[in-house]
Amino acid sequence: MDDLSLITKILHTKFLKEDVHGSLHMPVYDNVTFEVKTAEDMELAFQGRKPAHMYSRISNPTVEHFEQRIKTITQAVGVLALSSGMAAISNTILTIAKTGDNIITSKHLFGNTYSLFEQTLKEWGLEVRLSDLTNPDGIGQQIDDKTKAIFLETITNPQLEVADIKALSAIARPAKVLIIADTTMTPPYLFNAKDFGVDIEVLSSTKWISGGGTSVGGVIIDHGTYDWKQNAKLSADAKKFGPFAFISRLRREVYRNTGACLSAHSAYLQSLGLETLTLRIDVACANTLKVAEFLQGNSYVKSVHYPGLKSSPFYETASSQFNHKSGALLTFDLASKEQCFKFINGLKLLHRATNLQDNRTLVLHPASTIFCEYTAQQLQNMGVRETMVRLSIGIEDSQDIIADIKQSLEALR
Amino acid sequence: MKIKLNGKAFVTEVPILTLLELLKKAQVEKPEMVSVQLNGEFVGKESFAATLLKEGDEVDFVYFMGGGSERTLWMI
Repeated sequence: MDDLSLITKILHTKFLKEDVHGSLHMPVYDNVTFEVKTAEDMELAFQGRKPAHMYSRISNPTVEHFEQRIKTITQAVGVLALSSGMAAISNTILTIAKTGDNIITSKHLFGNTYSLFEQTLKEWGLEVRLSDLTNPDGIGQQIDDKTKAIFLETITNPQLEVADIKALSAIARPAKVLIIADTTMTPPYLFNAKDFGVDIEVLSSTKWISGGGTSVGGVIIDHGTYDWKQNAKLSADAKKFGPFAFISRLRREVYRNTGACLSAHSAYLQSLGLETLTLRIDVACANTLKVAEFLQGNSYVKSVHYPGLKSSPFYETASSQFNHKSGALLTFDLASKEQCFKFINGLKLLHRATNLQDNRTLVLHPASTIFCEYTAQQLQNMGVRETMVRLSIGIEDSQDIIADIKQSLEALR
Repeated sequence: MKIKLNGKAFVTEVPILTLLELLKKAQVEKPEMVSVQLNGEFVGKESFAATLLKEGDEVDFVYFMGGGSERTLWMI
């Protein structure tokens, strides 16, 4: 199995228990509870001494199979599927840090992640130290004995910046600080996180993995590269559970208690999505480069931002980290917010909707939508401009995408 | 030889020398999925065959799925 390609591994991940009807797809166990034969078995199962699912908020066969597929392609120590990408981030931080601890992250983050750190978790005593992760100089000086992690997005949204993750890991590892990477934009296949020094991956499986915006979900992947004895909150767990300390604390406490479970139905859809992941990534990334190149040559467009463009300051880093595919999100700037709205309203094929890596191409104006809660000064600090349009490129024929963009740009005259 | 297995006394007339032999003797269900603690400390699968047991040891087998108590591990 280790020698097989990623897509083959996904398609041929075995069930942990043979299906009684020989189904090739893991059935949807859309039920809450599971019966055992005796009271003694029930006691053992609740003690963790018998391998049995008991309650779908804790574990479920369909969700478990989705997790197994991710585990098979990443060779991770532990994988946990959750109700959303935000649940993956919040559960991870709640597991590794407590009041008085701090994390280092970028000021250029997805709006809801920024809000989680700067508002929700800050009120519970987590200190968030904002830094420019694309310039690692000085990050080492921000680390102290309460620093639990450096948190980064592999491609920031919507700034589309790419940090040198090996450089960050070289700073974090000797300081015994975790590297947590949000790989929503670059899931396994685009990015081999472990090879670049990422300890924990968190991602929104709603995006690339779900197979076209079919369902909301999130995933946490523990690559087994961090010695949990080094984390004050998990050192006792490390003694009992070794490399499984983080994932077991999640399972038996944080994930269980926050009720962040993925539904069986969503797990089924996301498992189906995994089966076509590589095909969709290849097409959408190729489309995105073509659209970016078209926009670069258009007189109405002031600037284009895509790490796959040779003109991008992140081109070299992105190419080496992401297997020469730089994702399927790009932004470009027009003359004004009014021009952005006119362009968006003039589109006839592309969809005015918020999501990433749908099969369809989606457009939005970040400043007035996913960043609408922030002031003009905050937007400036976060690198979100009023003149910015975001495109999440789908798998339609690239000529059709470009034709629609072209006609709407020409209507700006 | 008398040890404590999952909190209960476990006696065998034939001495059990290693954790791997105990896994077989105790007929542990799905041994590929079990996690083992010896006297409260984690033992990796790669060490099962080389870990010698002695009289009075406490061994816990826990699975990576199911349950709902403080002690429980879930599917990993």
